[in-house]
Amino acid sequence: MKFSFFHLMPYPYLPDDFDETYASSSLTFPNKHFDPKLGTQLYHRYLDELEYADTLGFDGVAVNEHHQSAYGLMPSPNIMAAALARRTSRARIMVLGNAIGIRGNPLRVAEEIAMLDHLSNGRVDSGFVRGIGWEYFAHSINPVKSRDRFNEAHDLIVRAWTSEEMFSWVSPNYEYRYVNIWPRPVQQPHPPIYIPGAGSTETMRFCASHRYTFMSVYAPTRVVRMWFDGYRRAASELGYVPDPEKIALSIPIYVADTDSRAHAEARPAVEWLFRKGLKQPMEMVNPPGYMSPGSLRGVLMTERKPFSALSYEELLADGYAVVGSPAAVADRLGAMYDALGGYGQLIGLFAIGPSTHEQVTRSAELFASEVIPALRPLGAA
Amino acid sequence: MTDPVTVPSADTPAEEFLEVPGGRVHMFRAGEGEPLLFLHAAGGAGAWLDFHRLLAGGGYDVIAPDHPGFGKSDDFPEVEAMDDLVYHYLDLLDALGLERAHVVGASFGGWIAAELAVAAPQRVGSLALLSAAGLRLPEHPVPDIFLMPSAELVATLFHNPPLAPAPAASAAPDIDAVLAAYRDATALARFSWVPFLSNPKLERRLRRITAPTLVVAPSDDRLIPVAHAQRYASRIAGARFAEVPDCGHAMYFERPAEFAGLVLGFLARNGLSNGVSR
Repeated sequence: MKFSFFHLMPYPYLPDDFDETYASSSLTFPNKHFDPKLGTQLYHRYLDELEYADTLGFDGVAVNEHHQSAYGLMPSPNIMAAALARRTSRARIMVLGNAIGIRGNPLRVAEEIAMLDHLSNGRVDSGFVRGIGWEYFAHSINPVKSRDRFNEAHDLIVRAWTSEEMFSWVSPNYEYRYVNIWPRPVQQPHPPIYIPGAGSTETMRFCASHRYTFMSVYAPTRVVRMWFDGYRRAASELGYVPDPEKIALSIPIYVADTDSRAHAEARPAVEWLFRKGLKQPMEMVNPPGYMSPGSLRGVLMTERKPFSALSYEELLADGYAVVGSPAAVADRLGAMYDALGGYGQLIGLFAIGPSTHEQVTRSAELFASEVIPALRPLGAA
Repeated sequence: MTDPVTVPSADTPAEEFLEVPGGRVHMFRAGEGEPLLFLHAAGGAGAWLDFHRLLAGGGYDVIAPDHPGFGKSDDFPEVEAMDDLVYHYLDLLDALGLERAHVVGASFGGWIAAELAVAAPQRVGSLALLSAAGLRLPEHPVPDIFLMPSAELVATLFHNPPLAPAPAASAAPDIDAVLAAYRDATALARFSWVPFLSNPKLERRLRRITAPTLVVAPSDDRLIPVAHAQRYASRIAGARFAEVPDCGHAMYFERPAEFAGLVLGFLARNGLSNGVSR
């Protein structure tokens, strides 16, 4: 089992009337609520936490991309990865991922990841996501073209990384007469690719056919199990059994010395994440054309409650988050390992909503010293 | 203001599927007389309402197709943008064997009607634009319908929202209905996500329109500000302008008799046999 420390870099200082007044913490939440002084402090605190995770023995430190949102302050994950590249020495630097569906110029992503590969001495992992629905509003990209843009950008980037000859690229959404990137990446044939997301049939077939790592997003264990099974089924149809490391569970985790202390501290943080951070009306999450008819039908039929309707107890019981003492967290993640049919990577979100720096570092320390050793043998190839 | 005329009502349309290049078009058709191509609003696919009955009963062969990707028409994936949509409707006129037709378009369909009259003036005998989308007027912005919750959308579309059909609150969501609405919205987004509900080049091209033109705006249009209709009327040579009072952007859903009366009064003075009028 491999373990990573994932950061969303939330902006937790929401106004008291947030719940009544604002439809979401994203897209339309006015940026007058962003205090630049507090923002500077947050960036440095959050980077300190990622650097600290490297020294604690986490196998990876992870960042991601979101736009126009208090939910996450990383419009450019590559800038955060660059800040980490020369301040860490051991952990993988995981960009999970670049939202290539909304990028005007995906070749820029190929160039930046190749640069990061050099700055990190070959430690970069490259995730690709389509971008969340609201980001198609935010960057004025037609969501109807989302999947095509993602697929074309992916193909272009991989070819740009791997070609040693100049080539021309023509696809419906992108045209380049000269592709010839400098630098080429260090890792050969290219940095490992991660696909975070909801596990639609299309996505699982895509991951399995390229042998990319699939990483789950917030969902109950029963849904994540369907996604992981989808990967294993797609691989089986292609005639192979996937390496456990290609299947990654990502989940908010909070550890404290005792169960009671853990729950007392985690409850407001977990509730903030699901009720405020993830407050997004359907119109924002799923703009027209963003989902295929089959995927939308699947989502409608799974009858999942909206995040805001889930109590803290339900969030824990359903497997949206894991909270407790080191022993309780190790037990719970071990049970989830069985319930999910196995996984080989655990990507933990340790900085949850308004948790303090002291809470986050303590949680990470306890996880590294007591939970990782207990779970390490699981999911070995 | 054009005087409304009294019209007979009610007609049961024929429902047809017409083969055109790229797929099948679903359409309603009823009435006898000169052909009238009706281009529906974004929310109006598959609708045959009092407004359509009144037009058909007023002595016109009303042809009401669903746009590509809307209603029961095929997806037509190669119809990617407004220019393709114009060719699609030229194909449709060809498939119907119509050299010229009256063209009436509402909202999104009004935008298509204006583009069609710009691209092929000789095919459009007369043109009625009912609160047409299509112009980019940054000083008179159109609110983002893609981001509106459905209750807010209803409040925006209707002058008198209670006239809107009340959603059955207690009923379990009908998955097929949700998927059908999402498909219509997806087709709309295909043509109008960015530039938003407009073609920045359209305004300067409107000079090409030769058909007699009627521009109608509901007085209380909270979606497409009346300034858009006024701009259309000022850029199309000889266009008549009319306002329907106490009405929202839902137009022919909210005040079908008034809209049908205005259109019929206008068409009566602009028969296709008049030939090219200017």
